[in-house]
Amino acid sequence: MSDSIDTILQESYPDQVLIDDYAREAAKIVGSENVSINQADLLSTCRDYWPVNSIWMLEGAVPALPQLVTWPRSTAEVSKLLALANDKKIPVIPYGEGSGTLGGVIPLRGGIMLDLKKMNRIRSLDEENLMATVESGLNGALYEEQLNRAGYTGGHFPQSLRCSSVGGWLACRAAGQFSTRYGKIEDITVSLEAVLPNGTIFSGRSVPRTATGPRIDHLFLGSEGTLGVITSATLRIWPLPEKRYLASYTFERLEDALETIRLFMQAGTRPAVVRLYDAQETGNHFPELGNKRCVLILLIEGNTEIVEAEAAVIKKYVLARKATDTGPEHVENWLEKRFNISVASVLFQKGAVLDTIEVCTNWHNAHSTYLAMQKALLAVEGTLLASGHYSHVYPEGAALYMTTVGFPGDDKVNFYKNIWQAAMEACLAEGAAISHHHGIGLHRGLWMADEHGTGLLVLRRIKKALDPHGIMNPGKLGLEEARKWQK
Amino acid sequence: MAEVNKEQLLNCALCPNMCRCECPVVQVLGREATAPAGKARLALMLEQGHLAWNEEILEAVSNCLGCRGCATLCPFPELNLGDELLNTRLKSKEAGIGLPACNPYLGTLKKFGSPYGQKTGTWPAANKGAEVLLFAGCTSTANNPASIGAACHLLDKAGVTFQLIDEDCCGYPAAVWGDEDLARQLAAENKRKMTESGASLLVTNCPECWLTFTEHYPEWNQEIPIQIIDGPSYYLQLIREGRLELKENELTAVSYHDPCIWARVAKKVTEPREILRAIPGLNIEEPYSSGEATRCCGGGSMFQLSFPQTAAAVARRRLAEFPKDTAIVTACPFCREGLLQEGRPVLELVELLAISVK
Ligand SMILES: Cc1cc2nc3c(=O)[nH]c(=O)nc-3n(C[C@H](O)[C@H](O)[C@H](O)COP(=O)(O)OP(=O)(O)OC[C@H]3O[C@@H](n4cnc5c(N)ncnc54)[C@H](O)[C@@H]3O)c2cc1C
Ligand code: SF4
Ligand code: SF4
Repeated sequence: MSDSIDTILQESYPDQVLIDDYAREAAKIVGSENVSINQADLLSTCRDYWPVNSIWMLEGAVPALPQLVTWPRSTAEVSKLLALANDKKIPVIPYGEGSGTLGGVIPLRGGIMLDLKKMNRIRSLDEENLMATVESGLNGALYEEQLNRAGYTGGHFPQSLRCSSVGGWLACRAAGQFSTRYGKIEDITVSLEAVLPNGTIFSGRSVPRTATGPRIDHLFLGSEGTLGVITSATLRIWPLPEKRYLASYTFERLEDALETIRLFMQAGTRPAVVRLYDAQETGNHFPELGNKRCVLILLIEGNTEIVEAEAAVIKKYVLARKATDTGPEHVENWLEKRFNISVASVLFQKGAVLDTIEVCTNWHNAHSTYLAMQKALLAVEGTLLASGHYSHVYPEGAALYMTTVGFPGDDKVNFYKNIWQAAMEACLAEGAAISHHHGIGLHRGLWMADEHGTGLLVLRRIKKALDPHGIMNPGKLGLEEARKWQK
Repeated sequence: MAEVNKEQLLNCALCPNMCRCECPVVQVLGREATAPAGKARLALMLEQGHLAWNEEILEAVSNCLGCRGCATLCPFPELNLGDELLNTRLKSKEAGIGLPACNPYLGTLKKFGSPYGQKTGTWPAANKGAEVLLFAGCTSTANNPASIGAACHLLDKAGVTFQLIDEDCCGYPAAVWGDEDLARQLAAENKRKMTESGASLLVTNCPECWLTFTEHYPEWNQEIPIQIIDGPSYYLQLIREGRLELKENELTAVSYHDPCIWARVAKKVTEPREILRAIPGLNIEEPYSSGEATRCCGGGSMFQLSFPQTAAAVARRRLAEFPKDTAIVTACPFCREGLLQEGRPVLELVELLAISVK
């Protein structure tokens, strides 16, 4: 029997002779055990957690294949590997743990998967200044575990904590579930070290702030592998919290809950977790509360006196809106179940297509964007459900996280495209930003021009200046056309 | 042949590796192909018929210790990824593909009834017909015969009449290396000898043997008609009955390493600790992860033979979780072997008991 694996989005491959040369040279840099053309390695790094990959997986297809995988163990090795690829003009895709949700790692034009998982050390723990310098390939949960063992927390808990890398967080501008207190990854990042396609290594200074021109290192936050490779970062850490306070409230109307959150955030409180679910999601995630009211869950942690003061202030705002106090146990349930996404695997097997689409709104359009996106999603033929929750909040607004499930029959990929088209149009019409934390990857690149206007031209010029041969993760971040997908 | 459960395989293949932080193999190798869902996806492609067997694919889907670290975080209670991968590998033989790293050991196993070669070691004369049958296991026999001597000493001290038989390997190595026929033959042979022994209680100190007898023998239609008990529970029973009296020994501080199968399948996490507490003068200091959340020593699925470098790297990772100055105590011959490599004192529970018994 022979293989019959479709590579649906493959646009091209560099000449195999170039790859063979590269393999020989790379083995001199990282050792032959860290260069692979093994079929199992190529098949395993070709996709991420983009739902379209799941659709294709059920059909036995892959999006595209790389030609070589390499595992550098140090920044110096990354530098040499990149310079070599740059000379030969071979595409390079940095690979963390493949939990991206938008096709960010798909090797559209073949080339090299630069897997960072062997760069997984904490280089230093600075207990005086509360900073950890960590290599980008370290798994998120293992990073947090090592900090916990020393009495600290990294404060960054995306739902993908256990299946994403520190470098992936930085490259995608990730946001953790406790981010209202600890900040998103860009707030947690003091400085980072990265390598340009030509091999130049540079890093920012690990001081709290500088006024020495723009922070070049921070340009790499959200660069999604298109500008170079992030090799390490110095991140803020915190002592493990002394106290944790949990509370939940239900509201009859989503708007009232949003207004309450606006007020307590603008009053200066910073609970770690603020999540507000619409009635449908309240029923799905907290069945004990029914599906008629919207639940707000809160988790406040840190220094005891501050936690108590914040709890008191928040309570004042919440009770003024006639919310019902539903106690701490729903938050405990959420804490226990927050990493369980088994329903996705089950639904895909039943023929469903599902996805989550997160956007960022201000307060004035927080509710209207929800209504508009929900309406647009439900109008797509095949959609069964479109619900939402607000997952991260700020004094200026909130992240809105829509979940949609459909049973489209045979043409699943087209359905997928349709729901996104509907959701993005509604979001843009409301004046919201097209992504809060999942990033752009392959698919959301289709709306980058609408999002940025002339800003995208600036970004493209930066890309051209740093990566003149366009070797870094081609076809992503909306920087150029992704031919086969755009069709 | 045990069939792959396609639904469970799909559950896993469609998961974004939510447990990868607990998979020691991907953590030491850094290869996506060895991440839990990575392996499941390759197995799925084989099942779907889109991928043909070759050594590279077989090597990837063999990269599972069967340690069930993934299961500690997995939302699918019915999913046993190690078993799904094992059942996947059983089909490689039909396709004529074997792993060069395992084939020589399979040959040895066929020839000598042990993957380690000709059996050596002398056990006490058999008490044919005795009620208790002590199953030595090939790994203890080959790597640490002293532990079998220790077990015999304990049973003698407790006044238990027991017997050993001319056992064959339990068959587990053959199964993990993809040769189910051989595994079944070994199982049938053992079943015959055990049945003929007339014993009514089988005690084993090896968790892999225990797992094979209790889970796989029934699957292979070779259910043993004798009650099977794990070593830790049995010795605890003897202590509780007052048949083993314990005294201080030269050790003052120990850390218990929970073998994956005892902790996560047999759920024996309190028994060994109760035994340790019964030994006077012993301080018990836990490693960072313990109990059902234990982390593998690298010895599962015969890795010490077939993937020795990976086994050693997994063991080093586990060793880093122990307090610095304790002796490590464990209850598995593979764990002992793996944890020995940095030169720390490592004892099997039976060896500790043997030096503590009055
Ligand atoms: C179940 C689930 C829940 C999620 N929850 C959240 C959440 O709560 N918050 C959130 O923000 N995101 C979430 N995500 C999205 C995803 O986990 C994040 O985007 C994560 O940061 C990606 O990390 P990774 O290591 O898996 O990156 P990958 O998927 O491997 O890569 C993502 C992109 O980053 C690039 N990249 C990776 N490493 C580097 C590097 N070292 N240098 C340069 N470029 C690099 C890649 O080329 C690619 O373009 C979730 C995903 C899943 C599957
Ligand atoms: S074993 Fe469970 S948690 Fe791990 S990848 Fe498979 S389905 Fe996900
Ligand atoms: S059983 Fe162990 S080695 Fe196998 S996939 Fe699960 S965690 Fe990894």
